[in-house]
Amino acid sequence: MKVLALYSIKGGVGKTSSAVNLAFNAAQAGYRTLVWDLDPQGASSYYFRIKPKIKGGSKDLMAGKRDLDELIKGTDFDNLDLIPADFSFRNLDLLLDDKKKPTRQLKKRLKPLADEYDFIFLDCPPNISLLSEAVFEAADLLLSPIIPTTLSLRTLAQLTEFIKDHDLTNLSLIPFFSMVDGRKNMHKDIMQQVLADYPAMLKTAIPYASDIERMGLERKPLAAYSGKSRSARAYLELWQEILARTAL
Amino acid sequence: MATHYELPANLTAEKLIAALSEKVEIDPISKQYFLKTYYDSFDWRLYKQGLSCEFNRSKQTSSLQITNRKNGELVASTILFDVPSFSKQFNPGKVRQTLEPILEMRALLAVCTLECEAYHLNIVNEDGKIVLRLLIEEFELLKNRFTLNPVKGYDKVAERIAEIVTELGLTAVDKPVLLEALKLQGRHPKDYSSKLDLHVTPEMRADVAGKYIFSYLLRTIKVNEQGTIADIDSEFLHDFRVAVRRTRVGLSQIKNVLPEDVIARHKEFFSWLGQITGETRDLDVYLLNFEQYKKKLPTVIRQSINPLHNFLAVKKQKSHKQLAKKLSSSKYLTSLAEWEEYLASTPPRNPTEADAKLTIKELADQRMWKIYKQAIKEGDEIGGHSPPEALHKLRKTCKKLRYLMEFFQHLYPERRIDKLITRLKGLQDVLGDYQDYATQQERLKQFSEEMQSINTPNKTFLAMGVLIQDFEIRKGKARDHFTLQFAAFKKAENHADFHALFAPKKL
Repeated sequence: MKVLALYSIKGGVGKTSSAVNLAFNAAQAGYRTLVWDLDPQGASSYYFRIKPKIKGGSKDLMAGKRDLDELIKGTDFDNLDLIPADFSFRNLDLLLDDKKKPTRQLKKRLKPLADEYDFIFLDCPPNISLLSEAVFEAADLLLSPIIPTTLSLRTLAQLTEFIKDHDLTNLSLIPFFSMVDGRKNMHKDIMQQVLADYPAMLKTAIPYASDIERMGLERKPLAAYSGKSRSARAYLELWQEILARTAL
Repeated sequence: MATHYELPANLTAEKLIAALSEKVEIDPISKQYFLKTYYDSFDWRLYKQGLSCEFNRSKQTSSLQITNRKNGELVASTILFDVPSFSKQFNPGKVRQTLEPILEMRALLAVCTLECEAYHLNIVNEDGKIVLRLLIEEFELLKNRFTLNPVKGYDKVAERIAEIVTELGLTAVDKPVLLEALKLQGRHPKDYSSKLDLHVTPEMRADVAGKYIFSYLLRTIKVNEQGTIADIDSEFLHDFRVAVRRTRVGLSQIKNVLPEDVIARHKEFFSWLGQITGETRDLDVYLLNFEQYKKKLPTVIRQSINPLHNFLAVKKQKSHKQLAKKLSSSKYLTSLAEWEEYLASTPPRNPTEADAKLTIKELADQRMWKIYKQAIKEGDEIGGHSPPEALHKLRKTCKKLRYLMEFFQHLYPERRIDKLITRLKGLQDVLGDYQDYATQQERLKQFSEEMQSINTPNKTFLAMGVLIQDFEIRKGKARDHFTLQFAAFKKAENHADFHALFAPKKL
């Protein structure tokens, strides 16, 4: 089992659509895949038409009254399951803070799923908090979508610094470009510069495209309604690049 | 909650859908005519692992699914137009990953085919989310089936539908369609295994038990014959040869119980069968182990060995062609038919052969004790300077002992004889390794001579030279290992166990 977290300090950078579409590609290749929607907004649950609610809320989960396995819902797609979000996830930081070794809590809860899944995708809420630290402990890969703007680059620098300061040596930070507008010269310039500065940056870029935005209307992964589109191909290539890069 | 049901004879799929639609909203997805073919290896490797492999072909699509036979869960699936013969021929992915370690060198064969009309239906909730998948399959010759495929986390819907269909008269079934389909053909799963499963009883008359054992081995020879001729995979010939070898050991060891002239005639025939099948098997072994040989080479010259593979493949093809011809010859067919006829004939009431009237247990004790002592004697005589032939001789004796122990396994307490077989196997393994390395080394030298005339690159000869050297080192290690293994086999405790089981009891 490999845990891949879609994470960014910034919001609105394409974390959820990346989590959903990458997980879909993994599942289509036959890997047993799970998405855990950790964001109280519940966007990935929405994309899979699954109600953003879990029995007992985050309180029962953190109190150890419920195993993650009990909360799993099958999606409409083979090999692909989801743990829905819950509005109570907005308080996860507080609940974690009450625990001993709070940053180890997610890892501990994911461990029993090791035999059931090949890949677990964590769709994380934006910000940098105690929950983020727990995600860093649990994840093998931190996939971070970056819009080619100066502000996004600043957050990437902050994240790199954070990982270094906290000595998270087992965690691989893998950024990739998201919501790229090919018509904007600024995007192109920044991408060129970043690819030179960050060797870890993936080559495949996800475009800013209306068919990705349509996921909210279709309520399914992009490739399930527009499999041949440029954006769907980009997600597939991104997934293959992640596999090749990390030898997962 | 049961997930597989049979429809009563008077209920068609259309009627069932109509009845269900009165209770719940159903979303019909497709109705397709399918040919459903089940696949497995000849020796049922997938079935034994609790898996079922089915290939469903319709006009629009075809796919291969591997499912867990017990709970129906999907293990792996792929869209596919034709089913390859070997697992390594599948594209990389979960299907290949699942099949390769189980099937190894065995081919996938169609076990049975069913025609079926499949109805796929979904039940969706108010968000448009699928909460249950339904499948109705109408078969020509079998009862129609209804399957619930629950979606994780939405069990209540499945439970409700299970209640409804039970009220409609459907009955839960736990046997997969495969079993029913096989029954139609008069077959059952695991109807072939390469392992011996002889049930001789201690009081059986020796000549009767002998005929029973030979008949069992003859069946193995016959069921592997066509697969050997068609070269479906290497294991048909392997199992064919093992049955021939076991027959030869039986003919020489189950002594003085069957008529001398019959034994002499068939000894010659089975020895001939051993000879004509040897070359093809040797080449099969080379081809099967080729990747391992490659790995023994340093990376820089690893690819240089490839011309040897082509050479072996061509040689194997030629050799197999000759073998197939011999297995269709009148000599083969007549001799085998004669042997079959003899085995089927009623044993005489008063046989004249000296030991025919012994019980099989008496004969088995005698033979195994004698061969065991012979093995110890031959092993004792082997020293540091003994020629390789001495080890080869001991290897053949151990093989005889092993086959006898397997023939007569059921005559002795299971745990005790199993323990002795395991210990003997340890000795056999090291003797087998030694012999294999020696033979392979010799054969490689012969191959390189033959390859001189076919424009082989020098680098290939260099790589073959490295392999020959590697076999030399391995041979040396096996020889050292033999001393330890034989000492372990000869230990007083082991001797006491052999003695207790087979030695004549003092009155």
